[in-house]
Amino acid sequence: MQDDLELIKRLQNQDNMALSLIYDKYSAALYGIILRICKNEAKAQDILQETFIKIWQKSNSYNSEKGKFFTWSYRIAKNLALNSMRSPSKLIQNEDLSVYKDKDQEESEIDLLQLSGSLKQLEPHHQKALELVYFNGLTHREAHEEMDVPLGTFKSYIKQALKKLREVYQKELFILWVIIEMMI
Amino acid sequence: MDRNSIKDTGILEQYLLGELSEDQQIEVENILREDAELRAYFNKIENDFESMAFENAITPPSHIKNNIFDTIQNQSVTQPDSIQVKNQRSTYLAIAASLAVLFMIGSGWLYTQWQQSKNDMQLVQNETNDLKERIIVLEQNLNKTNGWYQAINNPNTLKLVLNGNQVSPASSAITYVNHKEKTILLNPQGLATLDSEHTYQMWADVEGEMIDMGVISAGQEMIAMKYIDHAESINITIEPAGGNDHPTVERLIANVLL
Repeated sequence: MQDDLELIKRLQNQDNMALSLIYDKYSAALYGIILRICKNEAKAQDILQETFIKIWQKSNSYNSEKGKFFTWSYRIAKNLALNSMRSPSKLIQNEDLSVYKDKDQEESEIDLLQLSGSLKQLEPHHQKALELVYFNGLTHREAHEEMDVPLGTFKSYIKQALKKLREVYQKELFILWVIIEMMI
Repeated sequence: MDRNSIKDTGILEQYLLGELSEDQQIEVENILREDAELRAYFNKIENDFESMAFENAITPPSHIKNNIFDTIQNQSVTQPDSIQVKNQRSTYLAIAASLAVLFMIGSGWLYTQWQQSKNDMQLVQNETNDLKERIIVLEQNLNKTNGWYQAINNPNTLKLVLNGNQVSPASSAITYVNHKEKTILLNPQGLATLDSEHTYQMWADVEGEMIDMGVISAGQEMIAMKYIDHAESINITIEPAGGNDHPTVERLIANVLL
């Protein structure tokens, strides 16, 4: 998964077409993260919108030497989502009388938010660790408390989880390669 | 910090997740720039996280994309537009203000010019009136002089000089007599000046009787006198102001025979 630097350059030159292509490429991945952090579709849609507007406006502050474009976009999306969760007006909104309706909605959303893919093949505690920091936007410090393990242990969970994940990807790639070979 | 301990601290993961403070972030960025192997390792983590995100992607509703583009379009179009409108408005205001100032200056200038012209006109008018009056006077003078000249220059005119006698030896007067047209003109300028209670009077002698020819009013260049038929001589006497019915013979100053 290499970044298309040409496309990013066009985005930095305020090319609408480039933004459209970048949206097509990254919006679903970013929306998956935003929705898992705020667990509310309407809010998540607003934040996704904000995220891309910010990507458009701040595109010049992205530096490909510091990391991948998706990493940069992910940080924007995560920060906007976390900020919206912390904003007091949003908290008050959650305390209105339609709490039961919200609960129903939230439950159905939680089904939707079930993680899938290679992550499912990891051990539950590895899965949980990655989910907390990556998809729920918790910091290492918050997440290790959430999982009730020491910070050091939590960090090694993340490391091991990523390592396992890489192995799974490689295995999948190998299988894919075999299938392609067979097809040819 | 060596390479492995950096890997162990999990700081790269935290950097990726945006959990670090700005100082730590800069520190990690410096380390990554200098250490190619760590950089490659970080790139692997990035790829792992990215793959995970793509595997758990959720397609957002399609209207979001439209909303984003609407917002961007509005930002890029309306903002400069409103600035332009503002600019245009202020430009119009500036133009209007300058025009107003120009109008004011112009009006002021025109007003002073108008006042000046009015004064000039008045002056010219006065001068014209003055000239007109002078022309009238000159015309009258000319007519009078012309009349005299015609009369004097007439071949039938006789020029008679009345010299003062012992009563007024310095006096002299000139009469122009035209028997054909029956006119008499008198130039009294040579007569000595009298006090305000006396005047000269002219008389015609007809068969021993003195007949009044008229009072010679003072300060005249030329006076038309009454022509008397059959006059034998012309006489000038000094009489009380306003003239007399009969001549005061003792005060006869000049006479001439016709």
